[in-house]
Formats: sequence, C-alpha cells, structure tokens
Amino acid sequence: MTGGSAYQRGLAALRAGAPAELPPRSRGIIALLEENCTVCMLCARECPDWCIEIDSHKQTLPARTERGRPRVLHVLDRFAIDFGLCMWCGICIEVCPFDALFWSPSFEHATTAATDLVHERADLRTWLVGVPVPPALDR
Amino acid sequence: MTLAEVLGHEPSTSYGVVVAEVDRAGWAAVVTDVRDLGYAFFDVLTAVDLEAEGFEVVLRLWDPAARKGVVLRTRCPREDARVPTLTEVFAGAGWHERAAAELFGITFDGHATAHLLLSEGFDGHPLRKDFVLASRVAKRWPGAKEPGESDADLAAELTADRTGRGSRRRAVPPGVPTGWGPPR
Ligand code: SF4
Ligand code: SF4
Repeated sequence: MTGGSAYQRGLAALRAGAPAELPPRSRGIIALLEENCTVCMLCARECPDWCIEIDSHKQTLPARTERGRPRVLHVLDRFAIDFGLCMWCGICIEVCPFDALFWSPSFEHATTAATDLVHERADLRTWLVGVPVPPALDR
Repeated sequence: MTLAEVLGHEPSTSYGVVVAEVDRAGWAAVVTDVRDLGYAFFDVLTAVDLEAEGFEVVLRLWDPAARKGVVLRTRCPREDARVPTLTEVFAGAGWHERAAAELFGITFDGHATAHLLLSEGFDGHPLRKDFVLASRVAKRWPGAKEPGESDADLAAELTADRTGRGSRRRAVPPGVPTGWGPPR
C-alpha cells in the first residue's frame, strides 16, 4: 500500500462524514488537568515560543497541629496557551513534573480570529476528553 | 568503488543514518566522488554552530536508485569560517550556501553568496549561538513570574524598583545576556 492510497482512502472517508482516523500519539491540542498543576512555572519557562501564561497567588493554610507551621500554597488563577504561537513541540508536556499537561488528539480548532486561539483554563480542561490512557509501565 | 574507499575511512552509522566526516580541504572533491557513486540527489546543506569548536557544514545526499542517503560533514574554525563551495558539484547547492552564509556567517570559497533571506544591510548572523534576539529582550517573558505571582505583582515590583525599594533577582529567559533588557 502506498502513502498516496492511504491518503486517498482517508480523504474519501472524511468526505463521507466518517470521523478522522488518527494514528496513536497524535498531537491535536494540549489539555490541562489543573488538579495536578502546582503552578511550578516550569512549562511557561521552558516553552520556546513563550505562549503559556500563568497567574497565581499565594494562600496560607493555618498550622494543623499545635506545634506545626502554617503552609503556603500556590493557587492557580489563570492558565492560558496561545495556540497561535504554539509550534506543537510538546516540550511543556515533557517538562511538567506533575503530569498536568497532555496531548489530546482533538484537532478541529480552526477559528477566524487569532485571539480565539488563546485557550483559557476552561478550554484546556475540555480537551482532556479523548486523551488516551497512558501505556502500561515497564516492568 | 565503495563509500569507504572514496572517504578513506569507514563511515559511521548514527540512528540508522550513515555519517562521514570530511576534511575541509577535500570537501568539494570528496562530495564529487560520493555523487559519482550514485548519491546524485542533493537534499540539503546547512550548518551547525559548535561554539568553541567552530562551525560544522552538514550535507545530505540521496541515492535515488539504491534509495539510501548519506550525511557528510566538514568543520571550519570560528576565526576562519570558510568552506569550499559545492556549486561546481551541484548547482542547487548555491541556494543553501547563500542561506548558510547569511545565517551563520560562513564564507563559501568560490561562491559570491548574494544575500537571500535577511533584509539588506542586516547586521549579524541570527543562527550563530552568540546572536541575541532583540525581540526576546523587548518582549515580556511569561516565565519571569514566580509561582504564586500574577502580572499585577510583577507590575508592582517594577514600580518598587523605580523607587529603589525592589531588589529581587528575576529569572531571565534563555538567550538574553545579563545587562540586556529594560533598565531595572
Ligand atoms: S507545545 Fe511547545 S510551543 Fe506549544 S505550548 Fe508547549 S512548549 Fe510551548
Ligand atoms: S509544568 Fe506542570 S505543574 Fe508546572 S506550572 Fe506547568 S502545568 Fe503546572
């Protein structure tokens, strides 16, 4: 089978209204599981295109025991990725130490305004639907 | 003739790619011989800035009959960044040499590389590792914020700096040397 005929078949299927058949590990868009994000800023610093914007604030939790100390937490206020700048390198996903970022195969995100390519945290959460289950760990 | 005979040494294989180092003086001659072995399709020529070790010019050729490729590399020192031209071997190499000449500041001996991509009178060679990208200095870097900070915190700190009260050292983006950027 040649690449050409696979392409032709794929095209015919799309025209017939079938959902796109995507290869494994397709890079559609980036999803954020914000429960896992500790606001460490690593992704924003490593992104070569500077397209990740993060705002956060500090929150102090009172000591839980009598001799304990109050704890400072970082709370996420804004997480946005500008997909107009992003080049799909995946560095942010690789670098995240807390498994908060994932590749989602969802790819139909064309818009008519460049500003609509800035996906805020609510959008980034939506893209979690369809993120494939990670492969089993090596034993 | 085999590739090893033409090169005078056995090429190495790296990730399935056949790679050979070629002496700068024999660059054009060796490439001619490799071409005549069947690697007749010129794929790409580019360069790598190895900093203290100079520049590496990288060439990939393809053998259309045998359907296999080879990567040839040659080195030149930083202070004598010149490599013989391949335009006599592959006319199409001229285009790539013009790009490499502009972006890396490499002279291709025997080829008056006319400017290709950058604007007339552009100062510097943007793919050299010591070239500072001015936009990286001028643009606000999202990574400057620390965990637990917002844009408002950053702005407040800048104000504090101007009144001489701020003192924190900020993380700087890669590629921006110390001393560059807005006065603090
Ligand atoms: S994929 Fe690359 S360019 Fe896009 S947000 Fe992540 S690090 Fe930045
Ligand atoms: S690297 Fe991961 S945990 Fe750190 S800020 Fe980015 S998404 Fe959050």
